[in-house]
Amino acid sequence: MLEVRALDAGYNNKAVVNDVDIQVDDGEIVAIIGSNGAGKSTLLRSVCGLLPVLDGDVIYEGGSIANRPVYQISRAGIAFVPAERHLFPGMTVDENLTLGAYPKRPDSDRRALIFELFPRLGERKRQAAGTMSGGEQQMLAVARALMAIPKLLILDEPTTGIAPSLAVNTYQSIATLRDHGIAVLVAEQQVPLVLSIADRGYVLENGSIQLEGSAAELRDNPMVQKAYLGVA
Amino acid sequence: MVPYVAVAITAVILSLVPLWIGDSRTLTGVAVSGLLFACYATAFNLIFGSTDQLFLAVGALAGVGAYTSAITSDRLSLPLPLTIILGMIVAMIISGLFSWIAVRRSLGIIFTGIVTLTFSLAFDNLLLGQRSLTGGETGMVIDAGKGAFFRGQIPPYYVFLTLLIGFLLAYVAIHRSRMGWAFRALRDDQLSAELSGVNVAKYRIYAGAIGGAMLGLSGALWAHVEGFISPATFTFVHVDVQVLVMLVFGGIGTLLGPVVGSAFFTYLGEVLASFSQLRLIVEGVLLIVLFLALPQGVVGAIVIGITRLRERRKGLP
Amino acid sequence: MTAAILDGLVLGLQFGLLGVGLTIVYGMGGVLNLAYGAMAVASAIVVSVAMRSGLPAVPAVALGILTGAALSLLLNVTIMRPVYRRRGDQRVLLSILLTIGVAFIINGYLVWKLPIEALSLSIGGDAISILGVPMRVGSLLASAITILAGVGLILFFRRTTAGKAVRSVIQDEVGARLCGINPASVRMLIFTLSGAIAGLVAVTRSMTSPVPVSEGFSLTILALLVTVVGGLGSVKGAMLAGLILGVVNALSSFYIGSYITTIVLLVAAALTILLRPSGLFGEYT
Repeated sequence: MLEVRALDAGYNNKAVVNDVDIQVDDGEIVAIIGSNGAGKSTLLRSVCGLLPVLDGDVIYEGGSIANRPVYQISRAGIAFVPAERHLFPGMTVDENLTLGAYPKRPDSDRRALIFELFPRLGERKRQAAGTMSGGEQQMLAVARALMAIPKLLILDEPTTGIAPSLAVNTYQSIATLRDHGIAVLVAEQQVPLVLSIADRGYVLENGSIQLEGSAAELRDNPMVQKAYLGVA
Repeated sequence: MVPYVAVAITAVILSLVPLWIGDSRTLTGVAVSGLLFACYATAFNLIFGSTDQLFLAVGALAGVGAYTSAITSDRLSLPLPLTIILGMIVAMIISGLFSWIAVRRSLGIIFTGIVTLTFSLAFDNLLLGQRSLTGGETGMVIDAGKGAFFRGQIPPYYVFLTLLIGFLLAYVAIHRSRMGWAFRALRDDQLSAELSGVNVAKYRIYAGAIGGAMLGLSGALWAHVEGFISPATFTFVHVDVQVLVMLVFGGIGTLLGPVVGSAFFTYLGEVLASFSQLRLIVEGVLLIVLFLALPQGVVGAIVIGITRLRERRKGLP
Repeated sequence: MTAAILDGLVLGLQFGLLGVGLTIVYGMGGVLNLAYGAMAVASAIVVSVAMRSGLPAVPAVALGILTGAALSLLLNVTIMRPVYRRRGDQRVLLSILLTIGVAFIINGYLVWKLPIEALSLSIGGDAISILGVPMRVGSLLASAITILAGVGLILFFRRTTAGKAVRSVIQDEVGARLCGINPASVRMLIFTLSGAIAGLVAVTRSMTSPVPVSEGFSLTILALLVTVVGGLGSVKGAMLAGLILGVVNALSSFYIGSYITTIVLLVAAALTILLRPSGLFGEYT
């Protein structure tokens, strides 16, 4: 459903990401792993329209979405949860969720599903997003993205700044999205965690893809083990 | 050396202007007021252009200088030079105080602008209200300057030309000193300027105080050369809006931007004087077109153009 | 004293709504529209001219408010476009300079074509006693309209999806875009609304005192003060600030009188800005 072809992307016309090809199929969970500063965020941001695509193309459901405005990409069914979350701090949980569904009316089944996935949010519907803890805000960011009933959910470091136990929960929730037919593309530094739920993965370093394969292949790869899994 | 040469050339060109306009009293008046605005714009450039403090009290600070000097000389009969210095100092203190407040409360561009704007408006009201001291709306005639050498012996045009050249030289000197280095550092990136040990607060206050002194001095001199001042001479609409427009047109943060801007708008005002009803509309259209076409100002655009040309020359074998 | 406070509230309501129209535009796009007062005056003059040529009051007022909305929309789709390509202080500064130009054009045109025109809607009827103070029908009608408009705006921002979309762009533009909201169309909506508010305030103001062609600049300054005291971008803040400044204005003219009133008002505004740079309601809308 999503195909990134020979993509160059970066800031101020300087490419941080070079010649990257990745692919996400329907209902798949795909991980992008790599160290800090490898270009993971740049890659995801350019796919979502937050950064320009300098060269190459991004194909989504058969059409190019490269350099389209963010809101159009969002309405086409790609929901992005950036590492900084970008919630609406002065609005309640409920209002944040309502806006997630924009421009459609919020779907009540979807809302029920979200409160099932994240019961904490159900307890705090009237609380202002800005006053919640980091973990709760992260849940809300994912929940808000899901309200759009996306076909593809893109997550950038969803475990940044939250407790390890919560991180495990987050990934368990993400894994269940497969059952709802949502494809997931996730960038993560916590490699063991993400490979435990992903179908396939790419290793991104210095702005280009070094390695790709199924999650199992990556887990067994000696280079991955050495660099990211702490296996000597 | 380049900046000093530029100032010298400006001085020569401007000193020839009286030959061109001849004996016309009206035109001479227009030219003198153009120079006064160039002085204002240079002072404002030091405050806003060099340190990003949007002082919307240019007219008011000049008014502080003018009224302080006029009242102390005419009503208290203090010696004229002393009153001019007094006017300059009072304006300097008030302006420095603005900077101090802006720095202490870390006010951004808009807030600095609005706090100083409230001062402008309050000052205007004070002048209008304190009739017995200021003559209110009708203004006051100032006698103290009558015998002074700069009123009788030198044509007013050259008084203000000297003042302008003095300001420009001061501007260059300041920018070549440690203060100028600090200005550049804090304009590029305030945080890293602070980290590398530039005392941002101190230099901002210096810029505010020096600019204020320039404004006070211009206002005080104007009061005595003209022999008449009224609140309308120093209002926000008549001075600040004009000075801002002139500076941005000429080029914020450039040495000659204020001169080019005030020359252009003074000339334009004169050309449009015969269509006085259309004047505002034409100025408005020009403002929009010019700001969209030349966001760095005329002098800024020329500087960029020259730099590009040089780079291209260097690039050739 | 009661009379002064009531007068202050009547005035303050108008100040507040005037500020709201300016503050939403700032909150939205980080730009200041200094042609705001000129637009209000243009609306008032349209009403005045329309009524003189025989149009009944209500359609004339509607036409005036439409004029404000249309002018503001026009501003947004023309000269504001390059402004949005800038960031931060550069953006504010360019918006200030360009809208000064627009204010010159509107003012210049009005002064040229209709130098002595002024809108003065006199509402007949006997004074009504409120808390023992006889209030003119015009003041009461103006206040009622202003309160209705204020409540309507708050409901719009709180209850409707479009209103929530507006607030979302104010709070986090990137987040809003990620939710599928197009900031450009939200800005268009807000500019139109702002112009309509300017027109409405000009009309209600003319029920208590005439609005002449030359009023534009002082309306802009007043709106700016209210906006800043209330906290840039805060609707609630602007309304409260308007009320406070209105009451301060009326009380000081009652007790001290003369030119000092304006100075008291200005000092009050400056002090609020200095003590609370984020305004009365600094944080979120």
